[in-house]
Amino acid sequence: MSSSRTDLLVDVTMPQMGVSVVEGTLVAWRVGVGDRVEADQTICEISTDKIDTEVPAPVAGVVAELLIELESTVPVGTVLARVAVEGGAPADVVSAPPASAQPRSAAPVAAADNGSAGSDGRYYSPIVRRIAVAHGIDLSTVAGTGRGGRVRKQDVMAVVDGGGAAFAPAAEPPLHIESPYRPEPVRAVSPRPEVTPTRVLAPAPAGAAADDSAQLSRMRRTIGEHMKRSLETAATCTTWIEADMGRVEASRRRLGVTALAFVARACVGALREFPALNAWLQEDGTYTRFDREVHLGIAVSLGEDGLIVPVVRDAHELSEEGLAARVRELASRARAGGLTPDEVRGATFTITNPGQYGSIMATPIINQPQVAILDLEAIVKRPVVVTDPDGNDSIAIRPMTVLGLSWDHRALDGALAAQFLAAVKRRLETAA
Amino acid sequence: MSTEVAPPGEEEVGAVAVVSEHLTPDDRIWLLRSMLLMRGLEERAMSLYRQGRVPGSFYDGFGQEAVSAGAAFAMAPEDRLCVLHRDLAAHVIRGVAPARILAQYLGRAAGVTRGRDGNVHFGDPELGCVGMVSMLPDMMLVATGMAMAFKLRGERRCAITWFGDGSTSRGDFHEAMNWAGVQRLPVIFVLENNQYAYSTPLDKQFAVDPVERAAAYGFAGVTVDGNDVEAMFEVTREARARAVGGGGPTLIEAVTMRMHGHAAHDDMKYVPKAQVEEWRAKDPVDRQAARLAALGVDVAEVRAAVAAEIDLATEEALASPMPDPETAALDVFCSGEAEVLGDGVARWSGWVERS
Amino acid sequence: MPTMTYLQAISSALRDEMRADQRVLLMGEDIGEFGGAFKVTDGFFDEFGPERVMDTPLAESAIIGCAVGAAVVGLRPVCEMQFADFISCGFDQLVNVAGKMYYRQGLAVPLVVRMPSGGGFSGGPFHSQNPEAWFMHAPGLKVVAPSTAVDAKGLLCHAIHDPNPVCFMEHKHLYRRVRGEVPDGVFETPFCARVAQPGSDLVVVCYGAMVEVALEAVADGLDGASVEVLDLRSLVPLDEEAVLDSVARCSKVVIVDEANATCAAGAQVAALIAEKGFELLDGPVVRVATPDVPIPFSPPLEAAVLPNVERVREACRELLAY
Repeated sequence: MSSSRTDLLVDVTMPQMGVSVVEGTLVAWRVGVGDRVEADQTICEISTDKIDTEVPAPVAGVVAELLIELESTVPVGTVLARVAVEGGAPADVVSAPPASAQPRSAAPVAAADNGSAGSDGRYYSPIVRRIAVAHGIDLSTVAGTGRGGRVRKQDVMAVVDGGGAAFAPAAEPPLHIESPYRPEPVRAVSPRPEVTPTRVLAPAPAGAAADDSAQLSRMRRTIGEHMKRSLETAATCTTWIEADMGRVEASRRRLGVTALAFVARACVGALREFPALNAWLQEDGTYTRFDREVHLGIAVSLGEDGLIVPVVRDAHELSEEGLAARVRELASRARAGGLTPDEVRGATFTITNPGQYGSIMATPIINQPQVAILDLEAIVKRPVVVTDPDGNDSIAIRPMTVLGLSWDHRALDGALAAQFLAAVKRRLETAA
Repeated sequence: MSTEVAPPGEEEVGAVAVVSEHLTPDDRIWLLRSMLLMRGLEERAMSLYRQGRVPGSFYDGFGQEAVSAGAAFAMAPEDRLCVLHRDLAAHVIRGVAPARILAQYLGRAAGVTRGRDGNVHFGDPELGCVGMVSMLPDMMLVATGMAMAFKLRGERRCAITWFGDGSTSRGDFHEAMNWAGVQRLPVIFVLENNQYAYSTPLDKQFAVDPVERAAAYGFAGVTVDGNDVEAMFEVTREARARAVGGGGPTLIEAVTMRMHGHAAHDDMKYVPKAQVEEWRAKDPVDRQAARLAALGVDVAEVRAAVAAEIDLATEEALASPMPDPETAALDVFCSGEAEVLGDGVARWSGWVERS
Repeated sequence: MPTMTYLQAISSALRDEMRADQRVLLMGEDIGEFGGAFKVTDGFFDEFGPERVMDTPLAESAIIGCAVGAAVVGLRPVCEMQFADFISCGFDQLVNVAGKMYYRQGLAVPLVVRMPSGGGFSGGPFHSQNPEAWFMHAPGLKVVAPSTAVDAKGLLCHAIHDPNPVCFMEHKHLYRRVRGEVPDGVFETPFCARVAQPGSDLVVVCYGAMVEVALEAVADGLDGASVEVLDLRSLVPLDEEAVLDSVARCSKVVIVDEANATCAAGAQVAALIAEKGFELLDGPVVRVATPDVPIPFSPPLEAAVLPNVERVREACRELLAY
């Protein structure tokens, strides 16, 4: 990370599309040197063993350099291009995450393929829980060195002895950026078990050793608190649906926007159709359903520090391009730390989209007091069965994606969730 | 080597022969009293049992009271007794209060075992009695062990144990007989041959009259009329003399009849009526009463006194509380000093000579 | 302070007790002139005579039953079962007469039954058993099992002083293989556990011959882990406090039984930990025990069933990594 008040060159690097992927091939440039780009705008298209995808610009600026030959295959992390950020750029600019870093979520998603933090389905033994409660340690933040990444007594004791986060949430002052997480009085850490013991993580990848000297940022800890509380209060379920993104892919190339904008638009429409997913269920039991307006939260990654969910207010009034523009603008200001409090409050529904790294499914955590959150992951070319109007089946290669919806069973049932997803899918696949 | 007891110096008094010259009239009265108390207490307890006030099972020694009364009467205060379930008179003679006996049947805290064991499964350690277990004849070995200790310490005292015809089939009978014979111990084995082990008659129990086994184990065996309390006394007195004199064990086979069922729940249908009638004519209490009447004793007064005593004891026992459930799991282990068995009451006039 | 073997320590306890207390009486088969099957009473006959070193008939029920009788009239009998296995012949007297007498009748039965237990020498099914669990299960009996020479003496002296029937499980395998410093004269070891080796990452709970096995299994440090070994020493009374202390310290437990697994002493320890130490645990309670088979005679078969250093080490390793 660096900051400067003069021209700054920000790298665009070859991403790691999956844990086992080590390289990628540059198949197309979407910009030329000197082109003005917005944050999130596609710089190039790449192809890897796993999937083909696009690489977005990390910042708004001017394309300064294109460094790689077309059709060349380079290792993950290789700098593909550089974008110059103009003088007068904000103080804090987050450069693209190092390619070798752990894939990070841009949203409150429980990663299923690594041992990273988050309310993660790990089993904590009685003594580990007791120690955590006694010292105010959030176990989802403790790396485990036991079998399967399990947090052993020694691991949590190391946090205690290393003077780790013995934080007292109740005394935490409000953040500089007013969090979208409602500022109700923070309760003491619950002594109840974290998660059911049946959800066990896959073994942590090699090299994922705990670094006892690293500290969690205040924002990270607060986010963690919110995540945990959400899982403890909501009856969280996740439903998935596959969508054929062929029409979207075609449209967005034309419009120069990302798939997220299309999904957002489809969600808005589906939420008007199924307002039960466009609601708030607050701690005191108050339930508010929004039948007309949709204020869409879009999760934005802030790198190692965490994430933030700026809100596109009155999203129901925007087209795909309008949504794309709003999201781009909010995201860039989010990364610059320039969001106003109103811009992180009041969402009625949240979308998270970490798919640029190749993950295909997730179990996102609901952004309370909302009752649902939609997760958009990678679009992957797959062989699928297509039926022609005469009823004949054949195999075609289609860009498919899995849309994941986590929803609160206290406010609605699975049938409704599924119908909502079907409505989103329908809007993505057809013009309807 | 079985012998009939030939009472020395027999006196013919009326129709009932006086068997022993070692018994004074007072001794004889005590023998009757003891049998009357045993019978009366058991009848009272049976009545309470039929009223549903006695938990568990109920056993009695109706018709064989002389076997325990006569033998126990011959025991010195320092002798030790392993008393069985049809031998209530032994407890009475040793000094257990009738109220405590009834409380024991009723499962009260004042019972001898404080409610921890039932019916006649008791023995007051302070009076030198070891309470029985249900596995018979386990107590034969305990008596043998006590006798062993007496011999090791060179003490002139003995141990006595009662057991039935059925129990002679078990290993512990043979281990005890053998051990006692090998070590020549001062122990008296009283075999109460009451003709039935529950419903099993003698001919299903042994092929050899068990008194003959004494010889097989190397010591004296004697058969006696178990329904003659004075004959029981006499033969036991002799056995004791043999024991403390270093002559080793004696097996006394007391021939008697179990006049009630195995327990209150048993109607003894398997016993031929004729056999019951035959033995009724030999009732031990009746015989001793007749003997005393012939001596000019006011037997009715003795009976009345015993009856009154039993009435008082019944009142006291019924008024006493049940044990506190909180104490059920206490005192599994002894936490202080182990106390040895104490001495019992011994009213035989013969002991007076020793002091 | 003299150094002696486990067997010599037992002899020392008996000898010192017999010298100090005239009430002490030894009863067993072949213990007199012959000096005992394992020579525990070698020389006793000459010093104490045939009456106090009593050669009994071959009758285990009688040995125990007579001991009860002797005990209630003031002697302190110490019965020897030639092999622990033969206690089954005296089971009734021990469990029903001796064990229940105090509870029922208020009559204490101060006797000791020495039981040479355990396998490892091709003794076969009837000379290799560890029957202590049967007697842990019988109310009124105390059960102790020393693993060291000094405890063999101290626990036996204590057993002789105790006013209750005590089953003294002396392990044949330890007779001549374990030695240590043992004080002269009579002394008492309390009926409680002892930490054979302190640790903090995992505790191996064991007794008798398994203590040596456990100590050897963790001797190499198990990849740097700090492993505690808790020697129970007393099975009834069971030292609950010591067990829970070790669990609180270590949070991971491996329990080793040489006895057959089902309902062995270790099963009771495991139940205790699950009930009272649940919140202290950082892993499942692991047991290493002989499977439920009669102890076989042929060496490879016997070695395959008895817990050994490698099995204990492997169990510890796996649990440490959990």
